[in-house]
Amino acid sequence: MAVTVDEQLLEILACPSPDHAPLARGSRDDPAADALTCTECGREFPVRDGIPVLLLDEATPPAEPGSATDGV
Amino acid sequence: MSEQTIDLRETVRARYAAAATAVTTSADASCCAPGTDTSGEGCRGPQAVEVDENFGAALYANTDRDALPAEAVAASLGCGNPTAVAELRAGERVLDLGSGGGIDVLLSARRVGPTGRAYGLDMTEEMLALARANAAKAGAANVEFLKGTIEAIPLPADSIDVVISNCVINLSVDKPAVFAETHRVLVAGGRIGISDVVADDTLTFDQRAERGSYVECIAGALSFTEYRDGLAAAGFTDIEITPTHQVADGLHSAIVRAVKSHNAA
Repeated sequence: MAVTVDEQLLEILACPSPDHAPLARGSRDDPAADALTCTECGREFPVRDGIPVLLLDEATPPAEPGSATDGV
Repeated sequence: MSEQTIDLRETVRARYAAAATAVTTSADASCCAPGTDTSGEGCRGPQAVEVDENFGAALYANTDRDALPAEAVAASLGCGNPTAVAELRAGERVLDLGSGGGIDVLLSARRVGPTGRAYGLDMTEEMLALARANAAKAGAANVEFLKGTIEAIPLPADSIDVVISNCVINLSVDKPAVFAETHRVLVAGGRIGISDVVADDTLTFDQRAERGSYVECIAGALSFTEYRDGLAAAGFTDIEITPTHQVADGLHSAIVRAVKSHNAA
């Protein structure tokens, strides 16, 4: 469930990468996942026990563009 | 980041995780449980070699401590009382770099009131869990805890009025990044009110390391001039660094104040 991060907190959070872009609720594949996704770089950050884990080394990197279809 | 730098960061994280766990698992593990501490001595953590009155909860006024959960006070491993030096006002947004057990976030939250907000940033999972539990116990609704590093703050530019920090910046392996990130998240006219360990300008890095380890807030301490230059390089003005008490030969706990100029980008 993605309700553990409240609206007011989500509004102020930013990606820790140099783009510092806003974060969106959920993961790329699951809008209801307990995660936050950067709207710029696409990194996914887990939310554990209601605490957003905004560490670059614990983020799920964004999928390489086209990587899902390029593998032949 | 070099392997040595990563190792150092992991050492700091592990040390503070152990301190948080000791506070939550056993009241006896804390060396400065409030109410039992009649000596006025604070602590740097359950594993501290010696009980040291220069660090920890003893630096907070009793009225402040009494209103907070015992675990928040017991987990206070800092070297000052930054909420007292930051002169927080109602409605302000406060960010605590390295919030630990949450004592400064909770004190800040009370000072800024329901229209303000206090954010705690820490990289130690165990400390964050403790801080969150403490916030729940204190019934604080205007606090948030985030897991992240102080070198890559997960907040947008111009979003914070006051940055506080209690004896944490000396632990960072990339202090220029901390100063730059702090400057970035502050609004124009925003300020810092920080407690930290600062070395005499005459002490070499080797001499600082002789006087204590990195995790004890000694080896990584900047000198007065290095601190001032670092803040100035990040764009801060009105920089004041005031030593309050000596924590080791040539090393002082100090209050650091500075402002992000109204003209800053």
